[in-house]
Amino acid sequence: MKWIRIFHKWASIVVGIQFLLWLLSGIYFNLMDTTKAKGRIYQASINYKRPIVDDRLVEPSIVLLKNQPSVAIELIQILGEPFYMLTHEKALYPHLKNKYTLVDAYTAKGFLINEQVAAEIAKISYNGPGEIFNIRLHNSTIPDFPKQQNPTWEIYFDDVIDTSVFIEASSGRIIGHSDGHKRLADIFFMLHFMDYSNNGSFNNIQNMFFAIAALWLTLSGFIWTIHIGLKGNYKIRH
Amino acid sequence: MTIKRNLKQYTNGKKVLKASRKIHKWLMLFIGIQFVIWSVTGTYMVFFDIDYIHGDSLVVNHQDKINPDDIGYSLSTLFSDYPNADNIRLSTFLQQTVYRFVVNTESGPVQFLLDAGSGKKLSPITESKAIEAAHYYSKLGNVKSVVLITDNPPFELNPRVLPAWRINFDDFGAPSLYFSQSTGELVGKRHTFWRLFDWMFRFHVMEYKDGGDIGNWLLFVVTFFAILGCVSGLIMTYFLLVRPTKKLATSHKKISRDVI
Repeated sequence: MKWIRIFHKWASIVVGIQFLLWLLSGIYFNLMDTTKAKGRIYQASINYKRPIVDDRLVEPSIVLLKNQPSVAIELIQILGEPFYMLTHEKALYPHLKNKYTLVDAYTAKGFLINEQVAAEIAKISYNGPGEIFNIRLHNSTIPDFPKQQNPTWEIYFDDVIDTSVFIEASSGRIIGHSDGHKRLADIFFMLHFMDYSNNGSFNNIQNMFFAIAALWLTLSGFIWTIHIGLKGNYKIRH
Repeated sequence: MTIKRNLKQYTNGKKVLKASRKIHKWLMLFIGIQFVIWSVTGTYMVFFDIDYIHGDSLVVNHQDKINPDDIGYSLSTLFSDYPNADNIRLSTFLQQTVYRFVVNTESGPVQFLLDAGSGKKLSPITESKAIEAAHYYSKLGNVKSVVLITDNPPFELNPRVLPAWRINFDDFGAPSLYFSQSTGELVGKRHTFWRLFDWMFRFHVMEYKDGGDIGNWLLFVVTFFAILGCVSGLIMTYFLLVRPTKKLATSHKKISRDVI
């Protein structure tokens, strides 16, 4: 038992503070409003209903011949207009590196999501009181969506919670919204996952180290508790 | 004055330490087991790479290119045959160029898979096609069993992708691949490590029903008392490291001796 006590005390020195941070961030996740934590307060649901049945559509085979080889071609809508999205390189998930080309489905001409188009898409996705006051293109990772690996437009709105709308530059896909509430929740996720380099992951060395220390702490504590119980030291005195 | 103050601090310190010990001892009798569960499940989740858990290494992400000459069945013909077709995409299925689209009917959306050469309907895909796809889109070993799931999906499969073929492999981690019967698309990849992860997560957030609702009241109550337990433990750690009571005790003795 002496060693169990020593283990427990040393483990508490190593991981005690982090354990408290895990619990405090944990209770925050338990109590938080998930809509707020996901930055969705001003996120409008976009519902394109107009079916595209039109003689003016260029045949996909012609579009394919005019472009780089594609894994897939999809008829999509951007701001209510039909486009073909060609996928040249397909990753397992949209946030990973994918290679796309957008083509106007009426003219077969290439189409780029520029600042104006990104702003228009963002406006449709946003139903808050703010107006756009800044637009920025991120070519490297973005702190709000650390897993996103493709270039992304960030459209800032001037509301009180600092909403930003993120649009993938190569596809026009809405990655998501972020605001003060999400950024606060992200701080708690960072603390819980010990993700201080903001990789959006809990599989990191420091977390592994402290997880082992936490195992020592709780297992030694568990044995200690059983020992106290067996010795009959859990007594209610009157 | 100093002696008095030191003595007071000393007794206060002793009281705090004693109270912390008592709180810690009693709280842990009731919630200590959850501390063990948190650290065991947390360690599992931290150590297994999340991409591996998601089964990314089970599948092969082929980059088969569409040959435009294979498209004998044009989009305009498709629209005349299926005027309500929506979400239309062309890609490959087992190296064959195919159309996939959805038709919204009164009884819900219906998915289609057509051969882009002839326009022939390929859905619903047969068992042998599903097995062929399972081999082509993975490098897994022998197929152990095949099940068509039309309702009551297992917890590891999203009900929205039904009907689906479940292909179970005789391979490391008992992997299962799921292919949509209507589109032939890979709609699920699961193995023992995912299934374990799912259990671990449920135990971690104390959610024993369906879904992973972390906002449950049980978790709140236990975490609330866990914070008390943790703080009382940290107070003891503080006394262990800084030993203010011991310091005060020695200085008190020293001062007393000097006075006498």
